[in-house]
Amino acid sequence: MTVFVCVGSSCHLKGSYEVIELLTKRVKEEHLENQIELKGTFCLGKCGVAGVSIKVDDEIITGVTPKNFDDVFNNHILTKIKG
Amino acid sequence: MINSRYVTEIGYLSFNHVGEELCGDHIEITSPDESTKILVLADGLGSGVKANILSTLTSKMLSSMIAGDISIQECIKCIANTLPVCKVRKVAYSTFSIIKIKDNRYVDIYNFDNPEPFVIHNGKVMDLIYETTIIDNKNIHHTKYEASPYDTFFLMSDGVKYAGVGETLNFGWDMPQIKDFLGLIYRQEASSKALATELANRCNELYNFRPGDDTTVAVVRIRERKQVNVLIGPPTNKEDDEMMLSLFFAKEGTHIVSGGTTGTIVARYLKKDVVLDSSGYLDKDVPPIAFIEGVDLVTEGIITITKVLEYANNYLDKNSEYMNWYYAQDGASLIAQQLFENATDINFFVGCAMNNAHQGEETGINFTTKMHLIDDLADKLKMMGKNVRISYF
Repeated sequence: MTVFVCVGSSCHLKGSYEVIELLTKRVKEEHLENQIELKGTFCLGKCGVAGVSIKVDDEIITGVTPKNFDDVFNNHILTKIKG
Repeated sequence: MINSRYVTEIGYLSFNHVGEELCGDHIEITSPDESTKILVLADGLGSGVKANILSTLTSKMLSSMIAGDISIQECIKCIANTLPVCKVRKVAYSTFSIIKIKDNRYVDIYNFDNPEPFVIHNGKVMDLIYETTIIDNKNIHHTKYEASPYDTFFLMSDGVKYAGVGETLNFGWDMPQIKDFLGLIYRQEASSKALATELANRCNELYNFRPGDDTTVAVVRIRERKQVNVLIGPPTNKEDDEMMLSLFFAKEGTHIVSGGTTGTIVARYLKKDVVLDSSGYLDKDVPPIAFIEGVDLVTEGIITITKVLEYANNYLDKNSEYMNWYYAQDGASLIAQQLFENATDINFFVGCAMNNAHQGEETGINFTTKMHLIDDLADKLKMMGKNVRISYF
């Protein structure tokens, strides 16, 4: 599975760096390094929404923040992998 | 000479006597015509306000008179008759060095009581041979020299020579050590500003960051022109993509694309992919760079350029951020290296499309900010001595 994190101007200002840090940490904790590839991407076209946009395979998830990060990770990434 | 293959590049840096607001050294640069460049470095007696006034007057008068082809004899007489006499020292001048370069080749240097200017030729420090003329009881040294490309001239105030006295060294270093140091750090690709910064920083270190004298280094060198082209933003009308990009890629030199959307358009035009740098964030304040085959550098837009502008402002001031961008590999540093160090001529291709996603957002990114940013950066680059052209689409 590939998880893209938007690092466009808008998402950058809304916290791409933190989201990438959290993602890297969680992936390590869950020992998913071999199953999840993290990549940056330019604008996903959802700048108007608060929070950072990420893309899990073909699904775009908007509004990711350090606060809701664990929920997003559990619901959109973990379930898919374990699914 | 706009059509010449070479250009005369000037860079300088001063550190003030500790505790002084004003520098007693002054640098004046003039260009009476396209093919002539004149730099005067004057060091006023003492430090602070008085020194500043003396050196400013001396360098301004000298540079305008030399630009007007007035003989050095007349210049000196004029200065001696005009400058206020220092009550303490009963003299009325500051020391000075003048370098005049015509056609990137014919060099005249006059020196009065500053450390003797010298040249790095073929990577080696070389002394120049001076003739002495006495004008108005002053020993004026003069040399004529025919420069080759990459000859690099060093002018300095005596603060450089005395760096470290009583701080880190008992008697300061001296000209031979200064020349050895420059022989070590010199590399052909280093700009005049980079060399001036490295020598002045070294002096500041020797002074333990408390300079006991105003310290100024000016570097003048002949270098090859390098063109760098920067594309920022998509054009107002989508139909103009093709035209804007074909003009951009038709330019010789380095090609930088700044902006995510812009990158996507460029990739489509070149029929290549945009690949984000897998190393991700190298500086957490600057979004990662990307790669497109056929483009030298692809970065994010507005945040990266904002950082470049910050570096540009600092470059024109004390250049204290120099070490932060000179070797770093993040997008802003890479652009700074290209624009400040590598480029002599810069073409901006600015697309004026509004990024609807950004307007009225809490991020503070909007169209006006972007336009101001580019104008500001262009101004700073001009102040660095670059030829800058901006085209809007």
